[in-house]
Amino acid sequence: MPGVYLGMLEFLIGNTIICHAVEAMLFASIACAILGVIITQVQISSIGFTMAHAAFAGAAVGMFLSVNATVTAIIAGVLVAFLIGPLSDKARVSPDTALGLLFGISMAVAIFFIAYMQTLGRGFSAMGLLFGDVISLYSEEITYLALISVVAVVFVVVLYKEITGIIFNRRIAESVGIRVKPVYYAMLFVIALVVALCLPIIGGLLIYVWLVTPAAIALQFCYRLSSMFVVAPVVAATISVSGALAGLEYSLPVAPLTAVLFSIVFIGAVFLSPKRRVTIRKS
Amino acid sequence: MTVSDPVIRLENIYTAYEGADRPTLADISLSIGKGEFVVIGGPNGAGKTTLLETINGMLPITHGTAVVCGQNVRGDGVHVRCRVGYLLQNFTFDPLTPFTVEEVVLMGRFGMIGLFRKPGREDYEAVEKALQLLGIQNIATRPIGQLSGGQQQKVLLAQNLARNPEVLLLDEPFSNLDMFARESINALLAQLVGSGITVVIVSHAFDDLPDRPVRVVVMHDGKISLDRECHPAEVGQVIRNAGSVPRDA
Ligand SMILES: Nc1ncnc2c1ncn2[C@@H]1O[C@H](COP(=O)(O)OP(=O)(O)O)[C@@H](O)[C@H]1O
Ligand SMILES: [Mg+2]
Repeated sequence: MPGVYLGMLEFLIGNTIICHAVEAMLFASIACAILGVIITQVQISSIGFTMAHAAFAGAAVGMFLSVNATVTAIIAGVLVAFLIGPLSDKARVSPDTALGLLFGISMAVAIFFIAYMQTLGRGFSAMGLLFGDVISLYSEEITYLALISVVAVVFVVVLYKEITGIIFNRRIAESVGIRVKPVYYAMLFVIALVVALCLPIIGGLLIYVWLVTPAAIALQFCYRLSSMFVVAPVVAATISVSGALAGLEYSLPVAPLTAVLFSIVFIGAVFLSPKRRVTIRKS
Repeated sequence: MTVSDPVIRLENIYTAYEGADRPTLADISLSIGKGEFVVIGGPNGAGKTTLLETINGMLPITHGTAVVCGQNVRGDGVHVRCRVGYLLQNFTFDPLTPFTVEEVVLMGRFGMIGLFRKPGREDYEAVEKALQLLGIQNIATRPIGQLSGGQQQKVLLAQNLARNPEVLLLDEPFSNLDMFARESINALLAQLVGSGITVVIVSHAFDDLPDRPVRVVVMHDGKISLDRECHPAEVGQVIRNAGSVPRDA
């Protein structure tokens, strides 16, 4: 939808480029952090990891073919999510090995097309796919990001019972009459959507930092799931917006700088965690 | 044994695990009436857990008819599971599991509440009642991972009672319990059976069974090798005698 731009922060930030970058980082970080809580708590980190890289490969292929890279990224991410089960059955390998295989294939495809585009002189956009790019965003991309962060919030609010059941224990969730399979696949689908839309901003090599680190930071302080769903996006949004402002102010690459900030905050959180203090006292 | 108006009716059931080359349960037929107290015995690997998960539709039935609480299990097991309690075998939780006791018990009603709905007053009242039945109101706000194995077992039983099940399936519920907890749970089971709930229990502990006729079903190698009613004091003896034929090492 060209021309449809909600212009949410323009009244605060005069410079359009900075404003777009901050908005993009804000929405991307909220969506990623919320899904990150699900990914880490359902303990499907390796599935999320593989899906993120498959989406990355899908985007590279889309870009090479000059079709909509977001669409090809979504397709690749979803495809991988639905391939894991059948692949481990048919190839008689463990799901863990199946994920490893799919990850390897994804990276091979992504790197092949990115390298090929560089030899063709189309390197600039390919680099954006690797490391993220917050400068050259269209306003409709911001709108999509705003929408996907709303989708992530609504998904968790509407299916909160089912999601918490699956997080608690998938077999117990099934035994109490929760429809585990459809909700689980809906989860994977929303993860693929979010990853695909956030890829151009954060980059394929770093997106996983946005998915896992906020949840890991929240876990250091939260004893309840509900607070994790609030703390993770708030922490992620704060760090991401700071990263965007600092990166643009000092002409540093925004996504890598923010990823480093995430890691520093995580290490700090581990040392400050009350949970950690309790375990130290016990031993 | 034949039962006139069964809550659980299995006819020529075959159940296979995904990827297995032969069915784990082969040609099982079993009818259980309302308010019966059934003890399932048999060696490890006989198919007791598989039988329970066939009854509540968690495992795929490849052949046969299964009707539980008037619902076809093969059609949509979710409806069966909303009316059947199932306490899974061997469960313990990590100390950091981010769920309190009352949250876990409320979860027992999530299936029957249904998609896109929030728990209401009725649901919280049922949780309160289930906590009371098991005498664990005092730990309602504690994280489940920080309780003893026996307490965790009681919480999971309360979770199942919270949805007022017509049938209660229990898989070795006493494995983590001390003598006192076992006595109190058995008294509770007697009370539940008395109120018309059907209880099917897989167990190797036969002391303190409710003082009422017990239906004993013994399984071997995916088949039912014995099915008869007896006095609660005889259950251990009956299962041991049945086991003297084929026995696992
Ligand atoms: N997830 C599974 N996949 C394949 N086979 C299984 C699985 N679980 C159990 N089995 C097999 O099914 C049989 C019955 O197991 P089970 O019902 O757990 O026995 P019991 O509860 O009586 O000890 C065993 O031979 C076991 O090896
Ligand atoms: Mg068993």
